[in-house]
Amino acid sequence: MHELSVALTLLDGVSEAALRDGIERVTAVHVRIGALSGIARDALLFSWDMASAESIAAGSELRIEDVPVAVFCERCKRERSPAPGTGLLCPVCGAASPTIVRGRELQIVAMEVPA
Amino acid sequence: MKLRVVEIQANIMRKNDALAAALRARFAKSGTLVVNLLSSPGSGKTTLLEETLRRLAGRYRIGALVGDQATENDALRLARSGAPVRQITTAAECRLDADMIGKALAEWNPGPLDALFIENVGNLICPAEYDLGEDLRAVLFSVTEGEDKPLKYPLAFNTSQLALITKIDIAQAVGFDRQAAERSLRAVHPSIEIVELSARNGQGMDTWLELLARRIESKSLAAV
Repeated sequence: MHELSVALTLLDGVSEAALRDGIERVTAVHVRIGALSGIARDALLFSWDMASAESIAAGSELRIEDVPVAVFCERCKRERSPAPGTGLLCPVCGAASPTIVRGRELQIVAMEVPA
Repeated sequence: MKLRVVEIQANIMRKNDALAAALRARFAKSGTLVVNLLSSPGSGKTTLLEETLRRLAGRYRIGALVGDQATENDALRLARSGAPVRQITTAAECRLDADMIGKALAEWNPGPLDALFIENVGNLICPAEYDLGEDLRAVLFSVTEGEDKPLKYPLAFNTSQLALITKIDIAQAVGFDRQAAERSLRAVHPSIEIVELSARNGQGMDTWLELLARRIESKSLAAV
């Protein structure tokens, strides 16, 4: 869906950081993508190849770390991982948790560049 | 080839969030209530908005921004209400973002507004990620869609303060299970406000309009 625009924004972030550090080539980019972000992994990989072509990151590898959903259960007072398709219910006590702790990530973590 | 790793740590949404914050500041100053309407295609966003604009006209100054991937049909439909309406054609993009809103506002002069409705692109995935500087995010969910829709798109329902169950006039005919719908809404957002309505027969419209009027009034008071 919006993978291409996410890939282009990623490239902006990478290019900006590279420019700042005087880096001319990027061989890999590490990102963290939350399960709630609605990003399809394959579509993002495909979009990355298109977005990064003819940039300093041309031919680079996009390494995606998937981040599963975690909520804070108010009743258990603990962080829990809801089962997929159950909404944000605590898998232990069944309480609904409004607080998403993880799973919304769309983050650039690092890039690999020639030493 | 020897490689080294350079840490970046940047949120991809940073730029959108900054633009949305600027929009929010601008609307706080003008006292304009901004409502972002989210839903799947065909949930009745345009019909609800048409009826809302019609009923609020005369009482408040209302404008609407309408996002679609193609055609200006929705804007043409809404313009019949007499309210200022502007279409944003997003082409490949499946959602509106704060930059699109900012650009549309720069080219559009609707005059001072008490409320601005933003009809997002019909899609429950991508629009959920993008803050548009709104005060109120309302997600529409029609009785024909399946009661478990919130479980399938948790973020859209979790980030909305209000769920509008639309087409309630045909609930019985399609066997809509009200308890099941509420259960799935509460599973992703325990405190979400729920309003059942039908833009077609007017059921529940007063509740929705009252809710809007209250928010419009308090927003304009806060601006003074």
